[in-house]
Amino acid sequence: MGKKTLEIYSVELSGTKDVEQTDKEDGKERYRGLKNCFHSKKDHHTEKLKKELDLDDHKLSIKELEKKYGTNIITGLSSTQAAELLAQNGPNALTPPKETPEIIKFLKQMVGGFSILLWIGAILCWIAYGIQYSMNKSSSLDDVYLGCVLALVVILTGIFAYYQEAKSTNIMSTFNKMIPQQAFVIRDSEKKTIPAEQLVVGDIVEIKGGDRVPADIRLLSAQGCKVDNSSLTGESEPQARSSEFTHDSLLETKNIAFYSTTCLEGTATGMVINTGDRTIIGQIASLASGVGNEKTPIAIEIEHFVHIVAGVAVSIGILFFIIAVSLKYQVLDAIIFLIGIIVANVPEGLLATVTVTLSLTAKRMAKKNCLVKNLEAVETLGSTSIICSDKTGTLTQNRMTVAHLWFDNQIFIADTSEDHSNQVFDQSSGTWASLSKIITLCNRAEFKPGQESVPIMKRIVVGDASETALLKFSEVILGDVMEIRKRNHKVAEIPFNSTNKFQLSIHKTDDPNDKRFLMVMKGAPERILEKCSTIMVNGQEQPLDKSTAEAFHTAYMELGGLGERVLGFCHLYLPADEFPETYTFDVDAINFPTSNLCFVGLLSMIDPPRSTVPDAVTKCRSAGIKVIMVTGDHPITAKAIAKSVGIISANSETVEDIAKRLHIAVEQVNKRDAKAAVVTGAELKDMSPEQLDELLTNYSEIVFARTSPQQKLIIVEGCQRQNAVVAVTGDGVNDSPALKKADIGIAMGIAGSDAAKNAADMVLLDDNFASIVTGVEEGRLIFDNLKKTIAYTLTKNIAELCPFLIYIIVGLPLPIGTITILFIDLGTDIIPSIALAYEKAESDIMNRKPRHKKKDRLVNEQLAIYSYLHIGLIQAVGGFVVYFTVYAQEGFKPNILINLRVEWEDSNVNDLEDSYGQQWTWYQRKYLEWTGYTAFFVGIMVQQIADLIIRKTRRNSIFQQGLFRNKVIWVGIASQIIIALILSYGLGSITALNFTMLRPQYWFVAVPYAILIWVYDEVRKLFIRLYPGSWWEKNMYY
Amino acid sequence: MVIQKEKKSCGQVVEEWKEFVWNPRTHQFMGRTGTSWAFILLFYLVFYGFLTAMFTLTMWVMLQTVSDHTPKYQDRLATPGLMIRPKTENLDVIVNVSDTESWDQHVQKLNKFLEPYNDSIQAQKNDVCRPGRYYEQPDNGVLNYPKRACQFNRTQLGDCSGIGDPTHYGYSTGQPCVFIKMNRVINFYAGANQSMNVTCVGKRDEDAENLGNFVMFPANGNIDLMYFPYYGKRFHVNYTQPLVAVKFLNVTPNVEVNVECRINAANIATDDERDKFAGRVAFKLRINKT
Repeated sequence: MGKKTLEIYSVELSGTKDVEQTDKEDGKERYRGLKNCFHSKKDHHTEKLKKELDLDDHKLSIKELEKKYGTNIITGLSSTQAAELLAQNGPNALTPPKETPEIIKFLKQMVGGFSILLWIGAILCWIAYGIQYSMNKSSSLDDVYLGCVLALVVILTGIFAYYQEAKSTNIMSTFNKMIPQQAFVIRDSEKKTIPAEQLVVGDIVEIKGGDRVPADIRLLSAQGCKVDNSSLTGESEPQARSSEFTHDSLLETKNIAFYSTTCLEGTATGMVINTGDRTIIGQIASLASGVGNEKTPIAIEIEHFVHIVAGVAVSIGILFFIIAVSLKYQVLDAIIFLIGIIVANVPEGLLATVTVTLSLTAKRMAKKNCLVKNLEAVETLGSTSIICSDKTGTLTQNRMTVAHLWFDNQIFIADTSEDHSNQVFDQSSGTWASLSKIITLCNRAEFKPGQESVPIMKRIVVGDASETALLKFSEVILGDVMEIRKRNHKVAEIPFNSTNKFQLSIHKTDDPNDKRFLMVMKGAPERILEKCSTIMVNGQEQPLDKSTAEAFHTAYMELGGLGERVLGFCHLYLPADEFPETYTFDVDAINFPTSNLCFVGLLSMIDPPRSTVPDAVTKCRSAGIKVIMVTGDHPITAKAIAKSVGIISANSETVEDIAKRLHIAVEQVNKRDAKAAVVTGAELKDMSPEQLDELLTNYSEIVFARTSPQQKLIIVEGCQRQNAVVAVTGDGVNDSPALKKADIGIAMGIAGSDAAKNAADMVLLDDNFASIVTGVEEGRLIFDNLKKTIAYTLTKNIAELCPFLIYIIVGLPLPIGTITILFIDLGTDIIPSIALAYEKAESDIMNRKPRHKKKDRLVNEQLAIYSYLHIGLIQAVGGFVVYFTVYAQEGFKPNILINLRVEWEDSNVNDLEDSYGQQWTWYQRKYLEWTGYTAFFVGIMVQQIADLIIRKTRRNSIFQQGLFRNKVIWVGIASQIIIALILSYGLGSITALNFTMLRPQYWFVAVPYAILIWVYDEVRKLFIRLYPGSWWEKNMYY
Repeated sequence: MVIQKEKKSCGQVVEEWKEFVWNPRTHQFMGRTGTSWAFILLFYLVFYGFLTAMFTLTMWVMLQTVSDHTPKYQDRLATPGLMIRPKTENLDVIVNVSDTESWDQHVQKLNKFLEPYNDSIQAQKNDVCRPGRYYEQPDNGVLNYPKRACQFNRTQLGDCSGIGDPTHYGYSTGQPCVFIKMNRVINFYAGANQSMNVTCVGKRDEDAENLGNFVMFPANGNIDLMYFPYYGKRFHVNYTQPLVAVKFLNVTPNVEVNVECRINAANIATDDERDKFAGRVAFKLRINKT
């Protein structure tokens, strides 16, 4: 892993971070959650963490701090001191999660899966040679070669799998190659810029708006400094920072800024008190690495499948070893049979094929903005049954947007779609003219220069979220806002602060005839209303009477009830006689009126849902996936968004809704009537795991609001207890434990922090929930297609195995050699089995339930039986027909072959008689035997073509699916034929490969069986379609 | 926080197995009910029955393409192989002169092997043919069989005929006879109308020295053309394969001698690197004398 540095994505975005109505009280709740998490998760960590959380740096005075860290706040550390400390404490960077050494990864590939069986085969080969050699010094080296070939197969497939894995890891490491962060530091009494990695404890650093805090810092002085702690606490509201000690807790006091959080505005100077892994973030990150990584469902499935195949191989091997010994074969021969059985049973190429298939899908998903880090995660998304989604940024656009307006006693809806293009509300009223002026002028946000070509909604703005929203809103409707502001010169301004809760500015007007000053004001609606005595209706000022005040309140409540943030706007033209053009406004003395203003209107803002999300949620629902929203936001906002995206469907109610509708107390409501539930973090904190389980099972639509990101972990665990496969989205550092814990963690590519991306299995490049749905679709498709691939691959194993069994029992000359089997498994069958990955879905896979982890296995009984005992046996019979044909036409009729094995293989018998009385030397027979291998090989290949075609579908007829829709299948078939032709005619003269030139007609002997396979499978599918749920379907559908 | 795997106790496992074998609640035996078992057995009966029928049918069709009398292809048998009698396990003829048992088995085998060559049997079954010419019996459109075979009388083998031989083909005196025969190949005109014979040599120089003198029967190791072509087991019922006997007169005792015999015929190549028995035969000879 490369160096761990800053994350580039969030810097520009932080300006538009969602601002929510959060009060102090809840902030505390969250911190508590964080601490709870520390306590409950890792016991042996707890002590250490506690100790470090008990740091008292925030309580110390500056003098004490200087003493403690041996520094000086004016001159900073000396370079030598800093160098020493750096050497002592290491660089200021998070240690990347511990990587398994490459060699271990490599060795794992060498012994995983079927490799162990093949190693056994190879070792048996060498043992067999050892025995032979001890008996006869001149024994042939065939077994040694075979052993080497098997070892080579293991090593090559191991290298291949390793390479594939390394490749997918590489995709991720590009994320880590980011611009090194710089820090502005005072050292040797000089201000310098150094890489943030070189910061040490005691350094004096300066931060300003837009910077990322380079380490845990105790602030010494601050001017209007605000930080975004969302990646640490999930709190989306900017937090003010000052040098005062305000709280006993390190996490809550205002004079500490944390590593990796972003400074939104203002400037500050501070002293570094923790660096690297010792920072709070570093500790959470290490907590994440402590959470065990679950095995992916597909890994479990493949393991299950390997167990089945290995079980079959070992039991048949042992059974026939015993049979061979009891048939008076020599132990040596029995060992060789065992090798043959193992090689025939193990689908050598399959695991490599699965890897390729998965990485093909991973590529396809990357194109659809799902970047998969862990190949196996490709399928996990498909089996997902619960998605725990973030709200901000994933479901929503992650920017405040004007959603509603209220003026002239009327609520207007503004367009909140991504481009805002369609603003349809009535703009003719005089009130709107005044309102728009206030929106434009009473606003400090500005576009960063040089973005004329960028669409308005995508421009970067300096200013807080709601001002940004207003700026963009007015820019879209009115055009060049900056120009308007220039024409209405600003003469005085009172910025927003939390005590007066309003913002005010005074402007010269752009009307040259009007010498009056215009005072505009915006702020919390009730505060604004208090200051007003009149209200503007249809462009006319009217006295503010009771009924209009009532109307205001109704509108205010309605908008607030939608979870929107409401602002009030008012203005006043200052009389020209009292305030002549030369009048100097003093904002501290307030030498101008701030009451009896004219109320103009309300505007409400929300972070609106992405336009693609409702559709995606519906799709999830029809796909049987439960979508749970987990957010730090206020329940009302959360619920409003949940309703608008369909997480809470239009006709379902929460217990509270029912209580409200029926005018009864919440406790009286029958909980079964409610489908939806909105649960806050505080409620969740008091729940026992059983209660949580009950909640998760009883409600189909759940929103968790005001939760700390740490509670996400609890929710994820709760879902997993329901046997669900859980996908979790997250972006903050503090999400990483939940991301890791989830069956599939999905990090946001744009807003996500490095830690989240590290912990996740998948990265959504566009942060869009809808991309998850396409991911689910691909995941389900790959599961289906893997099933087909495996069924295809397993089938011929029986055709490879039967010759051995018949050879042992009946004593025919060996029909197919071990090397030849390897040429099928690793030659002709590879491309076709990959081609099945390109197969289209048979039906709408998004309309069925997610697969049950324990019941819907990748390889089930039906698949194994159908492949082995039905198609596999047909193939074996077909192969034997080709084999017998070759022997019979050369002179050995089937009857004479029985029990011929011993003489046939005896190199001293050089006058073996065939059915016609002719006599054969050993080599002549050997050549015929190889021809038999080739014939059997071709027989299997021809039938595998039919097998490939029938595996395209499991239920539908091939003709419904379309024979030619998947072109890759035909590439596969062509490859099979070409490889076989090359082996037979090109390499037929190389005796070591045991291939011979086959007469052209033998290529067609197995064709009737290929046709039989196709017809039989069509019949099977027909009955499955005709009699759903019948005995036939239960036994024949895989 | 890995999902805890429930460790099953031994009793539970046994219980589960019991339930799998016979589930009294659902009346399932090995996971299937009686009807389900009946269905599945019936299904496999039908399915495998059909498969067997299909196999039989295709094999029958295939066998129709194969003649009873001559094989369809003979490409592998362009060069007939040579073989020796007595046939021993590793093609080594070891004779302990003093130990009767060591060669008696060879003698028994040879007696049996040469029995059909007895003059009386030959005279009774086979024709006297004109030497030096192929004995062709073409079908000329009508199947003409059984075909006649030419006589190869045991007496032609001279000292190696073993008739009234107290030395048992020379085995008891350390002068053993080894018989060489050429593999039968249907319709093969060995020698391409020219005379052919078998010659034997020591494989290496020292083998040649140790081998000493030998005599061959018929003289020169000749194989006459009249024994060809061979028409196959079905047609050529009484076909008698021509033999060449080699009697080793003074092999150096107690030494292993590698002997190689090959046929000298115009249309038989004897230099195939892979097939060590194409037109030739190599064997070991060892006479142990005390």
